[in-house]
Amino acid sequence: MAQIKLFGYTDRISVKPGEAVTFHVSADGAATAIAQLVRLVHGDENPLGPGFIEEEVSCEANGEWRVQKQYTQLGSFLTVDDPVGKLALEGSMSVFGFIFPGLPGDGRRQCLIGRWNNDKSAGYCLGISQDGHLEFWVGRGDEVDYIKTEVPLMKKTWYFVAATFDAASGKATIHQESVTNRYNGLLGSVAPIDYRSHVAETFRFKQKNLEDTPFLIGGSRDFHELRGPFVSQIFSGKIDRPGIYDRALSRGELEQLAKGTLPSTDGLVAYWDTAEGYTDAGIGDTVIDIGPNKLNAKGYNRPVRAQTGWNWNGRNDCFRLAPREYGGVELHHDAMIDCNWKPTRTVRLPESLRSGIYAMRLRAGDGAGLGEEYVVFYVRPKQPKAKIAFLVPTASYLAYANEHLSFDAEIIQPMTGQPPIISEIDVEMYKNLDFGLSTYDSWADGNGVCYSSYRRPIVNMRPKHRMSSMGVPWAFPADLSIVGWLEHKGYDYDVLTDEDLHIEGVDALKPYSCVLTGTHPEYYSERMLDGTEDYISGGGRYIYMGGNGYYWNVAFREDEPWIMEVRKLDSGMRAWNARPGEHYLATTGQKSGLWKNLGRPPQKLVGIGFIAEGFETSRPYRRMPDSYHRQVSWIMEGIEGELIGEEGLAYGGAAGLELDRYDLTLGTPPHTKILASSGGHSDNYMLSIEEILYPYPGLAGSQDYRIRGDIIFFNAPNDGAVFCGGSIAFGQALPAKNFDNNVSRLLGNVVDAFIKPGSLPGSHWISEEKQWR
Amino acid sequence: MLSPAPNTTTPTEGSEDDVRIWRNPLTAWGGAGAEPEVPTIPYKDPTEIWAETRKSGVPLLPVGRLRYYYKWPGHGEKLWSKLRYWPTRRRILHVRGEYNPKTLRREKTIVDKRPIWWALGLLALALAPFAFPASQLNTLLAAGAFFGIYAAINLCWMLVLGTASIFSLATYAVVGTAAFITTWLSISLGLPWWGLPIIGSAIGLVFGVVIAIPATRLDGFYYSLLTLGLNELCRVYFVQSKIFGSATGGLYGADTYVPKSWSPFDQSMLGYYAALMLMCGALLLYRMVDGRRLGRILRMAPEKREAFAEATGVDFRRARIQVFVVSSIALGFIGGFYAAHYRGVGFSIFSFDTVLLGLAMLVIGGIGRAEGAVVGTAVVVFLDKVLISWGPLRLFAIGIIMLLVVLYLRNGLFGIKQQFRAWRDKKKSERRSARAEKGGEMLPEEATETSNKDLVYWRRYDKIQRDYLKSLVSSELIEEHKSNPLGQHSEALERLLLYFRRQPLPDKYAIQVVQPFKAYRIVALSGHRGVPPRVVEDKLYPSQDEAYHGVFMRRVQDLLES
Repeated sequence: MAQIKLFGYTDRISVKPGEAVTFHVSADGAATAIAQLVRLVHGDENPLGPGFIEEEVSCEANGEWRVQKQYTQLGSFLTVDDPVGKLALEGSMSVFGFIFPGLPGDGRRQCLIGRWNNDKSAGYCLGISQDGHLEFWVGRGDEVDYIKTEVPLMKKTWYFVAATFDAASGKATIHQESVTNRYNGLLGSVAPIDYRSHVAETFRFKQKNLEDTPFLIGGSRDFHELRGPFVSQIFSGKIDRPGIYDRALSRGELEQLAKGTLPSTDGLVAYWDTAEGYTDAGIGDTVIDIGPNKLNAKGYNRPVRAQTGWNWNGRNDCFRLAPREYGGVELHHDAMIDCNWKPTRTVRLPESLRSGIYAMRLRAGDGAGLGEEYVVFYVRPKQPKAKIAFLVPTASYLAYANEHLSFDAEIIQPMTGQPPIISEIDVEMYKNLDFGLSTYDSWADGNGVCYSSYRRPIVNMRPKHRMSSMGVPWAFPADLSIVGWLEHKGYDYDVLTDEDLHIEGVDALKPYSCVLTGTHPEYYSERMLDGTEDYISGGGRYIYMGGNGYYWNVAFREDEPWIMEVRKLDSGMRAWNARPGEHYLATTGQKSGLWKNLGRPPQKLVGIGFIAEGFETSRPYRRMPDSYHRQVSWIMEGIEGELIGEEGLAYGGAAGLELDRYDLTLGTPPHTKILASSGGHSDNYMLSIEEILYPYPGLAGSQDYRIRGDIIFFNAPNDGAVFCGGSIAFGQALPAKNFDNNVSRLLGNVVDAFIKPGSLPGSHWISEEKQWR
Repeated sequence: MLSPAPNTTTPTEGSEDDVRIWRNPLTAWGGAGAEPEVPTIPYKDPTEIWAETRKSGVPLLPVGRLRYYYKWPGHGEKLWSKLRYWPTRRRILHVRGEYNPKTLRREKTIVDKRPIWWALGLLALALAPFAFPASQLNTLLAAGAFFGIYAAINLCWMLVLGTASIFSLATYAVVGTAAFITTWLSISLGLPWWGLPIIGSAIGLVFGVVIAIPATRLDGFYYSLLTLGLNELCRVYFVQSKIFGSATGGLYGADTYVPKSWSPFDQSMLGYYAALMLMCGALLLYRMVDGRRLGRILRMAPEKREAFAEATGVDFRRARIQVFVVSSIALGFIGGFYAAHYRGVGFSIFSFDTVLLGLAMLVIGGIGRAEGAVVGTAVVVFLDKVLISWGPLRLFAIGIIMLLVVLYLRNGLFGIKQQFRAWRDKKKSERRSARAEKGGEMLPEEATETSNKDLVYWRRYDKIQRDYLKSLVSSELIEEHKSNPLGQHSEALERLLLYFRRQPLPDKYAIQVVQPFKAYRIVALSGHRGVPPRVVEDKLYPSQDEAYHGVFMRRVQDLLES
């Protein structure tokens, strides 16, 4: 019997009581699962803390669910809706386009342009053979005839490719011409490479088109007994302005096309102008056919648009400046943005549900190991009623969703200073490409993953998970320590997500006196940032609980908030680097990268910003002299001694993992007070890359004074205020000694004051000092 | 298994004088784990070894091979029109275009030169009669015709033995039976010569089906025995049967395609070319069976791996029987042709030495190749029929050649190239391993085979780094790590750890949770997406810290062993 495994996701993550949420579940080795709605209170199983805490909640959906094995279509490609079969060409044809192969000759056949049925060997296709040659083939079911070029394609080089077929004479030709310039490819003209090839042969028969074969750009139709039809042989690389004729073009005509001239309409069936339809505010998934039949193509699994095209010449760095140079559509055989599983169950949530973090707990078999799944979602109140809001950093969860760092990143062990501790579910995620990748991974061709979504099982957005490379909970399970603290202290709080903040802006935060963030709110869209800024300047009281926040500029589409885009570039602690010219978000047209480099360093918003990271030890904070000022000394009430946070579930201290620092040069409000700072970090803590202009010895924890976490406080307009915990480990220090510790007391003082209406304590101690001592 | 006792893996014993103290820079900040003073080893300059290492520890010999032959350049912008063998999709020559990795020049390589050799060989056979010495003309033409017929028989046999992997020795029984019956039919019913191969094919079909049935049940040796017995049965039957001419040593008098009115020379020439045509027919059959679907199915199910092929859905039994029956029909056809060529047939066709001589032809040429069957036949026929003056010695010669082939060649004459390359590779790796240091720098010959030259340098860097780090391993450092696996370490230990952490991912150690906070196990990562880590030892560690130290000890051991 197969090992029992359960995985699931919901169609939306932010819901209100009484609303419906649809669960998509896949099961291996089980036909039923027992579902139980639970409210998650604490997620870290560390024996030094309170352990895992959940509360079962009654719900109409509790009980047995019928589940089945579901299949995931991997890979991004373009589909063409062709209801009358205009592309089922029966006779002569020519196909052409520009391509930038990412992985030619990786042992897989890759389809570029065609109407090919891989299961039945019927149709026609221009593609790349297993050994990396451009190939054109036609099939009639029992046999396939093909022609290929003389030399293999070179990777990361722009080619004009074409094939012609004259059905009357059977003559087929295939062509490749390099269109490299000084900027657009891997190699320059100093490499003595002749990229060209033109071959002719005579086919024995012509293609036979099957009714149900779809026309695809970058893939072919395949079939599996259990799974049904799917797409295989997916291209990895960029494709630019492909087209198709219903006649064999002459060499002269092909040469014109290779120069980029607009194709003549004589016999033109379709011409997908990949650079058409760009707007100043982003690019959608539709690739427009400007030919006579208007057979627009649509991207599946979010092909990457706005990429440099074959004619990009280095002068322009954004598709908004020169759309014609940005016709590159990047496809990947391992991209996955939406599992598109069949709905397993749509659940109407109880009307009386309290706002909080919930999960549908599914168990099959003995419910152990992979037989237990928590499908997590977030419940907002119908009407905001609490004074406190906990803002769940779901954008950051998306960025880290199913990260493969322990397994794929050579840098991770030197970075975290320890061997990874992997668990069963990490191995399962690594074995199975169907889980998709995070923005910390690269696709197989080495390009960084710029899209992530929650319409797939996310193994690290579940309780009990520990980030393998660091050996501690990270993001979601770590944030549950803050929830656990709010529960333990008995605060009345609502839960909000980044998605709500992105969609509603400041209106999502406005009803609350006090907003707490998660431990690592790193990924922010412009609207989220604006909303936060407006909340604080409008009198909101904001507690930034984490480290390395407000760092990357990300984007969501209006209608698809479950998909996030980020481009990592040039600076910042980053898992990859976007290629030259590809630094702008296709979703919005904004430049991605660090908010700091866009003129909005986090210091400008919350007073502190990322300075260093390290992963094997945490340190306590020590009170700074400013904390004795009566303006802020109420925060320190009941705290004995100077050290704060000598315990914690993240490496045993409140200052650790990623540290944020006060910096006037980056816009920390000048009246900010540093209440406490950490120090004595080990040399595993290294200065963050955007702070370094020249690297020199001594930029590590034990020798650089800047490497520290700062707990800060400042008053904002209209009785607003900001308090910052200074590091990621701060939140995970709360549950130590069953929440009885000075970090918990400190935060309690802040929250208690923040939820009281009127001015803050200490706000009158503002006169100039006239001291006697 | 690794013993955690540090002394066993310690090259430098920490004597009293060598022990120094490392003062933790973080102690002043307080907090857990910041021991003020940790015993460590004296400082060793990591740059010293770079100064000391002035040359490779192994001789570095010149490499590079002269291009003394010509290679065609690529077609560039010109259209390359490729021709095919009508009506197939096969190109006339399989030419591979590539970039020369040393110059990036476009080159073309003929991947499979066999069509050229075949064309030349067949042309030579067609023209040979005009080059035969007059004194031996008759002998050579007769031998040539004999060669053609036997080559055809052997090609069919090769299909059975090589392609279908059925160890049948009944080949000559099929040929002989067809020849005898068609001869008898021709004599008694006056069947014309062109009917003989057709009737022969029908007999071959019946024969093939009958002896194919046990082939589905019997394997290898037992099937060989059975078919040998069948061969003997045929011989005994035909020898004793009065209608098949038990008194005359054979049955003769069948109709022939050779016009009696022709001169003896013309008759011999016709016989020669007719037999050659027969061989060409057999070659075509071989190509159609071995080179197409049936042959490909059977190549997916080679000997001893049938079970795997079957499990993946390859119906190799059916394919084998099909090949067997097809070649039996062809053998029957050849039997009919044999009767029409020699005007009859002798009992010697069933004799054991005929079978052995046939086997010799196959073995000398090499099982599983058409060229093996043809050239093997040529060698044996030349010895047997042309060098008649040698007398019985020529049979010894055949025996000795066969013996040598069986003893020294793995796959007959046509396996020599492959065998030579395998032998050269073996010698190459022997020589390299004798010269190279384990885990040391690359030899020039290895560097030429490495496309990314960065790796060549990495090997040097890694070697020097390891040589230095090995000298740091000591009981003090192991003790220091054990008491504090994470956090700030002494300079020497930090260097060791940084090296370990920066190793490439394939086979890099990691820890797997067996039970959170209770049991951990050491695994090794694959470095290939989709391939899970493998377990490297059974030992369970009760805490994260102990598992960290377990990994450290394994890494230290690997370092010292390299």
